[in-house]
Amino acid sequence: MSDSTPASATAEAGVGPALEGGAGPEPGVLRRLLRRPSGVVGCGLVALLVVVGVAAPWLAPRDPFAIDGPSLSPPSGRYPMGTDAFGRDLFSGIVFGARTSLLLTVLTSALVLVIGVAVGTLAGYRGGRVDDACMRVAEFFLVLPRFFLAIVVVALYGPGVERIGLVFGFTAWALLARVVRAEVLSLREREFVEAARAGGSGGWRIVVREILPNALPAALVYLGLLLGQVLLLEASLGFLGLSDPTAMSWGFLAGQAQPFLRVAWWMAVFPGAAILATVLGLNLTADALTEALGRRS
Amino acid sequence: MSGRYLAWRLFLVVPTVAGILVVGFVLVHLAPGDPVQALAGEHGDAEYYAFMRARFGLDQPLLAQFATFAANLLTGDFGRSFIQGRPAFDLVAERLPATLLLISASLALASVVGIALGIVAGSRPGGVRDLAVSGTTLALYAAPVFWIGQLVILLVAVPVGWLPVQGMTSPGSTSTGLAHALDVGRHLLLPALVLASQEVAAIARLTRTGLATELASDHVRTARAKGVAEWQVVGRHALRRALLPVVTVVGGRTGHLVAGTVVIETVFGWPGLGRLLVTSVGSGDRPVLLAIFAVAALAVVVVNLVTDLVYVRLDPRIRYR
Amino acid sequence: MGLSAKGDSAVRGRIGRVVVLAAAVAFVAAACSSTEETSSSSTVAGGEGPRGGTLVAATDADPGQFNPAITTSGSVHTGAELIYNGLVELDEAQQPVPELAESWEVLEDGARYRFHLVEGVLWHDGTPFTSADVKFTFEEALLQYHSRTKSSLSGVLDRIETPDERTVEFVFNQPYAPLLQQLNVTEAPIIPKHIYEGTDIPNNDDANLRPVGTGPFVFESYTPGSEVTFTANLNYFKEGLPLLDRVVLRIIPEDANQVASLESGDIQWAFNVPGVEARRLDGSDEIDLLRTGNNPGGANCIMTVSYNLDRPVLADVRVRRAIALGLDQQRFLDNVLFGQGAVAEAPIHSGIPFAHDPDVAMPGYDPEEAGRLLDAAGWGRDGGGTRTSRGVPGVPDGTPLSIDFLYFPTFNDYAQLAAAELAEIGVDLRIGDTALERDPFVQRVFVDRDFDTNVISYCNGTDPEIGVRRMYVSSNINTNPFSNAAAYRNPDIDRLFDEARAEVDTAARTDLYRQISDILVEDLPYYWLVETTNVRGYRTSCSGFGPAGHFAEAASCS
Repeated sequence: MSDSTPASATAEAGVGPALEGGAGPEPGVLRRLLRRPSGVVGCGLVALLVVVGVAAPWLAPRDPFAIDGPSLSPPSGRYPMGTDAFGRDLFSGIVFGARTSLLLTVLTSALVLVIGVAVGTLAGYRGGRVDDACMRVAEFFLVLPRFFLAIVVVALYGPGVERIGLVFGFTAWALLARVVRAEVLSLREREFVEAARAGGSGGWRIVVREILPNALPAALVYLGLLLGQVLLLEASLGFLGLSDPTAMSWGFLAGQAQPFLRVAWWMAVFPGAAILATVLGLNLTADALTEALGRRS
Repeated sequence: MSGRYLAWRLFLVVPTVAGILVVGFVLVHLAPGDPVQALAGEHGDAEYYAFMRARFGLDQPLLAQFATFAANLLTGDFGRSFIQGRPAFDLVAERLPATLLLISASLALASVVGIALGIVAGSRPGGVRDLAVSGTTLALYAAPVFWIGQLVILLVAVPVGWLPVQGMTSPGSTSTGLAHALDVGRHLLLPALVLASQEVAAIARLTRTGLATELASDHVRTARAKGVAEWQVVGRHALRRALLPVVTVVGGRTGHLVAGTVVIETVFGWPGLGRLLVTSVGSGDRPVLLAIFAVAALAVVVVNLVTDLVYVRLDPRIRYR
Repeated sequence: MGLSAKGDSAVRGRIGRVVVLAAAVAFVAAACSSTEETSSSSTVAGGEGPRGGTLVAATDADPGQFNPAITTSGSVHTGAELIYNGLVELDEAQQPVPELAESWEVLEDGARYRFHLVEGVLWHDGTPFTSADVKFTFEEALLQYHSRTKSSLSGVLDRIETPDERTVEFVFNQPYAPLLQQLNVTEAPIIPKHIYEGTDIPNNDDANLRPVGTGPFVFESYTPGSEVTFTANLNYFKEGLPLLDRVVLRIIPEDANQVASLESGDIQWAFNVPGVEARRLDGSDEIDLLRTGNNPGGANCIMTVSYNLDRPVLADVRVRRAIALGLDQQRFLDNVLFGQGAVAEAPIHSGIPFAHDPDVAMPGYDPEEAGRLLDAAGWGRDGGGTRTSRGVPGVPDGTPLSIDFLYFPTFNDYAQLAAAELAEIGVDLRIGDTALERDPFVQRVFVDRDFDTNVISYCNGTDPEIGVRRMYVSSNINTNPFSNAAAYRNPDIDRLFDEARAEVDTAARTDLYRQISDILVEDLPYYWLVETTNVRGYRTSCSGFGPAGHFAEAASCS
């Protein structure tokens, strides 16, 4: 219950007992979320990422790969975040980097959700041997050293944002599966489920209609923290020089900056700040969501 | 918690690590490229490569290679480094102490600083100090660890001057004993601090929350009513319970610490396993790569196990099947 | 410098040819050194400068072990070459000067070399050095494990004779001219027979980690990943050397950190000063720079783009020429090398002046002309996007002009700049999945031939026979790394290279290489971007450095 949580400090070291109330996510959650300052800031930052990422081609003043600026020039009116050794505009690079980050988070979320929910539901609903097997597999994936795997995969098979997403997606579903399984276990015997069963609804319909929506908030919390991890990992890989040079990503920019650290501070500062802001947003949202769901015990 | 459970968990360590190694081995050996180039350099001819390939068993089918690998593992033999020609195990053993030193120093620093900050924040929840600490820790937690390292170098080390930013010892130093320890300590300070910054956030926030909760609980209220001094209330009654989750968080974050170590060793030139990993991966030095992989896997598995056991020990509410 | 043993002519004439040829090469090579700009200090026996002190030097790779006779790894050599010697040393002009061999004779037109070894040389453990060590090193180490030696000598070296303890003779089964270029401490370091005899040399960890040599410095200690320390060899056979008491080789993987340490005075010599820092340090009072064309991989290196001539897309010389016209060499020099190096003005490096023709008609930078050529070749576009084919033989209509570009990850700056520049003329250069480390790179380029273009640092060496010929002759299209990557087949070129190899008269050779260069810039099987330079840095309080190998042999610090 305690292994590699992408822990926010406010969540308990495992995401264990179920919510009170079993009729789906309460409509007041969003409101409660936004009433807290952490929720507002968090959601705001995440929304900023989404907006910038989606609107990148229109927001960026130049093609981030265009090499027509002055080499290594500090922030100025024309180039608000400076240029790199080839004269590429860093501001455009950051904007398109948001897009890459967005893609990465979507890919990872999709994988983690699909696999995690599938396995967790299967384990919780079936129980017994199936449950055992699923949880053993999950435990194994929990223990795999994720960063090492990512380095090995990227360095030996080639860089690529999708590859990072795949590595993360295939290794990080385990905790989510546990969360979902816990929800399923606790709700399986609930009255409304009995009632639904008595009313003739099939097993899977119950899962989808009644159980999953309850697991969703906890899943979102977990996901928010996890996605922060993915972005930090992508940044680290970029710093180590393992980034895809055709995908303008923040990690790639961070890697480019390293040889010029003392000569062009802006190349290192701005990508780092962008990552900081985004991960902060994700963490804050996850925290606020946790509090809004009344999980503090 | 039963001894049988303990035995079962201990028993599981071996197959888990083995499973991880299989994954690693397959990944490494399925990667494109002929490993003999890394082994033999680029100036040989076809005959030379065939000779080297046969010598190192690289012309065997994958399963045979894995069998040899597994058999050798049992004797602690990871093969010889392609690049350095020495046993991979030796290379890893040489670098391990530096990395262990860095990680322990970081954890120690993070615990001390984190708990201290957590107390400061949690003893008066909602106050100014609480917000300040929470804000800082949140930012630290969200920042890429290499970035913090770079900023520290630019903003702290370069202006201050006497804090070294490279290596574990002063160049050419022949000091021993206390002088040597001090030298290492001076070099350890910045990397350990930067690596600790991530953990500080987690620990501080957990301590804060736990403390705040405990301070609001009944028996603390009772103690206060009885007139027990505030510091005793905080120290004796509340803190012990509040520290429980810290243990588990530290254990659970081993994976991230390991990742952070790789990056920090690169930024500060710390001669540990992280640097060795990066160079091995770049040069295609498969035996060393797998040896490091094994060490990392073992570390994570063992730490997880220990953390689980400690947690169960400390909190009797949790039961395992 | 190879001679083919064809026919018979007067023995004197044959010897004369070898000697004249060697002298000719020495003359023209000495007329222009391979260092390009500021001071270079030579290794002078009986050095000048204050004695004593410790030099702290920085390198970026951990040696791992100290036996340079069994590997060509640059990091091992950097760490080990202070400990050993070769039979000869190569001076600034890449010409052999005495080291362990105080004199030599070339006999039988280059089929037999006799070396007379210096008297009284001792190994660091006091054992006398003899010719048996030379024979042992070659037979048991170099010819077994050192890839360059093995591939170049094993076919032609018949045996090594040691008539007495101070004489060693190399006997070849045909005249072999380049031998003297291959006997310095980098190519053929001599290791001690009395330590390695009877052992499994590559696996002899004890000896490989506690090396005993004859060189200017004695191994003291090694902390893996951190540093290597050496002390002066008080019995060194070169009079008056070394001057320093101790050398510390510090491993600093990040080049920028090396420069920072150099500036703060923590170290006094840095092997790897990056271009952008070199530019900044040029006017510095405290730090001097030493530029050299020497790499661990060779001398006189040109960053060269190869075209895979077997691909239909690149079969048309107009396409190849257009790509060349679309690449701005000056920009590579400015933004990738930061001025440390030179634009390649000819296919053969300017460090081989008798073969380098500065007036040859290189394509230059002309994107408009590039566009016109591509249009004429059937690659058209509306607007600014990627071009598509219309009537290009071997390519279906409507195919986008998209080619891949393979490169070592350390050359990723070249890839990025090339991709950006070629995008402007409508060529989509794919660089995403093509950053390959050595194994997969060599596999794809030379074994599978699965690439469109790539960039390679082709080192020409000190004579075109060493590193130029292998790129262009049709007989060298094979799976060996860094052979004829383009798969260029031109019988005229083959013939001209053969003639140039056999030719003795330098003026005639110059003319032949000029003809070769003219054909090459017409055919463009490759495109030559920039000549690269390694920059070393050192504090002005120290002097007497060499560019590599025995870099600290005659160094001193005040």
